[in-house]
Amino acid sequence: MTGSLSGRTIIVTGATRGIGRATTLAVAKAGARVIATGRNVADGEETARLVAAEGGAAQFVPQDVGSEGDWERVLEAATARRDFAGLVNNAGMFIVKPLAETSAADFDAIYQVNVEGCFLGIKHALRALSQARRPGSIVNVSSLMGLVGYPDATVYCATKGALTGMTRVAAIEGAALPQKVRVNSLHPGVIWTEMITGQFGDSQALADAFAADTPLRMIGRPEHMADAILYLLSDDSAYVTGTELVVDGGRGAD
Amino acid sequence: MDGKELLGRTAIVTRATRGVGKAIAQALAQTGARVVLTARDAERGQAAAAEISAAGGGEAVFVAADQGSEDDWARIMATAQERMGGLDILVLNSGVSARVPTIDMSLETFRALNGVNLRGAFLGLKHGVEAMRRTGRGGSIAIVSSIVGKVGIAGYIHYAAAMSGLRMMAKAAALELGPEKIRVNTIHPGMIGGFPESLSEAIPLQRSGEADEVGKAALFLASDRSSFMTGAEIVIDGGWTIQ
Repeated sequence: MTGSLSGRTIIVTGATRGIGRATTLAVAKAGARVIATGRNVADGEETARLVAAEGGAAQFVPQDVGSEGDWERVLEAATARRDFAGLVNNAGMFIVKPLAETSAADFDAIYQVNVEGCFLGIKHALRALSQARRPGSIVNVSSLMGLVGYPDATVYCATKGALTGMTRVAAIEGAALPQKVRVNSLHPGVIWTEMITGQFGDSQALADAFAADTPLRMIGRPEHMADAILYLLSDDSAYVTGTELVVDGGRGAD
Repeated sequence: MDGKELLGRTAIVTRATRGVGKAIAQALAQTGARVVLTARDAERGQAAAAEISAAGGGEAVFVAADQGSEDDWARIMATAQERMGGLDILVLNSGVSARVPTIDMSLETFRALNGVNLRGAFLGLKHGVEAMRRTGRGGSIAIVSSIVGKVGIAGYIHYAAAMSGLRMMAKAAALELGPEKIRVNTIHPGMIGGFPESLSEAIPLQRSGEADEVGKAALFLASDRSSFMTGAEIVIDGGWTIQ
């Protein structure tokens, strides 16, 4: 079946809410066993419960993506059945703040999750996938802001640009491993999740305003991202690596 | 072209004691700018500043500094203010790299290299913009990234992270600072200086570049000749990445 992930274990980070939770549900529905990770245990367990309620398989493993020890534990769980096949590097932090108000501590906090966290994920997933039975796939959830600038988002844009760049190097290195690993980046536009509402406010008027500012006149939903991630994880995208998949309703086109 | 087109302007150039950074400082000083050079090596720094000052053009002074230190950035900006009367031009030049496959790279190495490249540039940008605002004449910021900010090369995941990060950092800052007439652009050099000819075969121009060729690009971005450019990219790679 096209898009099937049955018989594969996939890691999804930041699976406690938003794009991560929707992706966990979609990947499990496609037949994969999901190792769902995140910092908030209650929310992570809720994601696993939602998967189970749909008849899927997901195990929540608490994780701080900036911690190398945590990555080792997550990989141990993911490789236990010898069917580890992919990683969705989704965990991320969002900040919009004028440059003058952005402190070194702000930079460090976001950098640790968005850049170091994703670097560690790429490193450990490449290691494990290079020994896997079938070609693997890593999807790095960057942002439209990893391709175009946004005012007052200097640090966020820097970290998402960094992830876009890491994707290209990892794609070249992954293609040369004993077992091939494809590595691509996803670039969501404005997706209606707590990441956005937490920064800008949660109101229908704001959602409508974002939709009006988007060529497709739609607000992005986590499920739209999950569909794109599913494509990049599955064999449907077997010849796709090092690419930047923009899913933004056309926001980046104008 | 007016040979002293930067007369009356003040510039800061980081990692300015050798290679590309030194060539940029020389290019700016030759056209009249007063230049603050910074790097960690004080001996080499003093020598570079003396050499540039002796060559005529704008005065050059050196401040020993670690780009990862906010205190050091404050000292650099204080020098620009007290000795030079403000800040018009900031060139953030970094470029620490090492070839390590991703699966073998430790978090410590990744962090150490990015500490200079991406974090140091963020701190320089933040403090430089504050200094330009105090000076009140707008300004031009040129960030030296790399072609690795645009294409991947195996073994350089840390460098790709930093250089792609700088490229996007510049675009976001350009959007924020446009209304204040502070322009922010990036330069993406390819192979510069001293590479064997065999390595140059993939380059359409059949050679590696010279540091002063990057200096000329930085000078262009610093000058009013690029007055309508912001958030833009200048690739100096002999055509390497167009194929």
